[in-house]
Amino acid sequence: MAESNDLKYTDIHRDVVRSILETGPTYYATLATTVSLTLVCFFFPWFYQLYYGIGAAGMNQPNVWGTYLASFIFWIGLSHSGTLLSCVLHLTNSAWRKAMYRSAEAMTLFSLMVAATMVMVHLGRPWFVHWSVPYPNQMEMWPNFRSPLLFDVMAITTYLTGSTIFIYMGSIPDFAAVRDRTSGWRNHMYTLLSLGWRGTDREWHRLHWAYTFLAVLIIPLAVSVHSIVSWDFALSIMPALHQTIFAPYFVVGAIYSGTAGIVTVMFVLRKYMDFGQYITRVHFDNLGKLLLVLSLIWTYINVVELFTGWFSGASGEIEALRYRLFGYYAPLYWEMIAFCAVAPLLCIFRRFRTSFVSMLILSILINIGMYTERFLIVGTSMSRKYLPESWGMYVPSLVELSIMAGSLALFVTLFLIFVKIFPSVSMYEVKETMNTPKAKTATSAGGPA
Amino acid sequence: MTGTTAVGLFHDPHSALTAAGRLKDAGFATPELMSPVPLHGVEEVLGEKKSVIKHFTFFGGLIGGISGFVLAAGTAVLYLHPTGGRPIIPFPPFLIITYEMTILFGILFTVLGFFISARLPAVRNRVYLPETAVDKFAVTVACGNDEQFKRAEAILRGAGAEQIREMAEES
Repeated sequence: MAESNDLKYTDIHRDVVRSILETGPTYYATLATTVSLTLVCFFFPWFYQLYYGIGAAGMNQPNVWGTYLASFIFWIGLSHSGTLLSCVLHLTNSAWRKAMYRSAEAMTLFSLMVAATMVMVHLGRPWFVHWSVPYPNQMEMWPNFRSPLLFDVMAITTYLTGSTIFIYMGSIPDFAAVRDRTSGWRNHMYTLLSLGWRGTDREWHRLHWAYTFLAVLIIPLAVSVHSIVSWDFALSIMPALHQTIFAPYFVVGAIYSGTAGIVTVMFVLRKYMDFGQYITRVHFDNLGKLLLVLSLIWTYINVVELFTGWFSGASGEIEALRYRLFGYYAPLYWEMIAFCAVAPLLCIFRRFRTSFVSMLILSILINIGMYTERFLIVGTSMSRKYLPESWGMYVPSLVELSIMAGSLALFVTLFLIFVKIFPSVSMYEVKETMNTPKAKTATSAGGPA
Repeated sequence: MTGTTAVGLFHDPHSALTAAGRLKDAGFATPELMSPVPLHGVEEVLGEKKSVIKHFTFFGGLIGGISGFVLAAGTAVLYLHPTGGRPIIPFPPFLIITYEMTILFGILFTVLGFFISARLPAVRNRVYLPETAVDKFAVTVACGNDEQFKRAEAILRGAGAEQIREMAEES
């Protein structure tokens, strides 16, 4: 944070409050665009599907899972680096976390919301979603807690609750700081959100401990969430899905795509919210190193997956892998390898890691590759079951493709609303990385009594 | 009106900590510091702080874990669904529900513990200076009478306070 050392407390305060209160036409134009895209690409096709039935989607036997679930895994995965990375870096006292974690955590929150919406879309009859929740009913029926789908419900609900609380708790001091600079409805809102925070030594002490305990709780939770998502697949007896490597494979993939997502968001905040002084090359350099390590682990797991499939000698397994590598979807597979295993090797070079545009392009490529990975997991496995009579092929329909693209617009819309409500850079934590103000004149004060 | 509070506003954290330490040594009830960032060295000056949050986290987790297992096992017993000779209460999948509920309740109770021990949300107006959310540091101390206030004022000024204010807490 070399750049931050020249800044004063008032600078960060002014810049962050400005990012909330001053809204230019570009922001409104972007918001209007994303809201329109969300309505046209996401909600309209969804209502169309609800009206005409799930047949509007391209899913059919044997491909009963399609892009909706691929999007679900993608968004859950994208959620992973935010809160998880923030917790790990908080516990390891990494100073570079402080300028970027708020937006990363917001990414977690909104990715989870979009992921939950994708489940609704996939359900076909979303008005029965409450059947997955255990509640006393006149039929005396209870959900089957042996099912990984119920593990999902519990894990995602817990993760959404935990992430919401984590980002909120960390924002309370900043809400209080913004409260004092606002008027009207905004002042009422921030007064409510800040809960009467005054920044006393007692409050800081309690916040520190509560925040640390939350971080300790959320790290194993985040790992469990994507492990459980992987068990949705691995606990089925399908070739290429029934593998023990799936839980670590999904967790690493999630952190990988999430870290790439953070790079994208950091670039946008730096460029369009004028946070260049706080989000520096140091952040991109460190994120680049992290991406490199994650890409190597991810590649290793992919090789292991292929090897164990081949080594099993099971004909169904080998056929599923052959189909993935050389079948109809092979171009997608090799695109994924190029984007997620080969391209990130450029992060070996410091010059590449510290180039904002290069890192932005890489982060987008990685997330395209990671979406492809999720599509391949769902698509190719369903296409090659044990018996050739149950083989098939899946091509997403226009409704599915539109909803897939619309989910991105929904995410961006939620994020755009976030940056105008939450201070998107943590003021008090960035202040902590700066030099504390020195006494103006020499006083008679000695050291602390 | 429940009392008067002497408030000293400081430009730097070091002077504020010095003032707080001197007030404590002079026999004032524990002074309070307000700052835009968490201050290091508060405990050396004002004594070690203990929080009950860890107890909330622990018992929240415990309650969550027990509830999670009881939920999964209890509903399995209420609605019997024998499958393939497997037990009605299988431990591996039910431990996952137990694990998730342990964490959920651990988180919720941690937040409850934070609110209770940090005395938030505030239900009455308390002494507060908006400058302390930006770049100033304040030391506040309760004074029972004018004489105490004058003593506190002298100590605060001696430690380098930029401003000293007399404020009253509203009930």
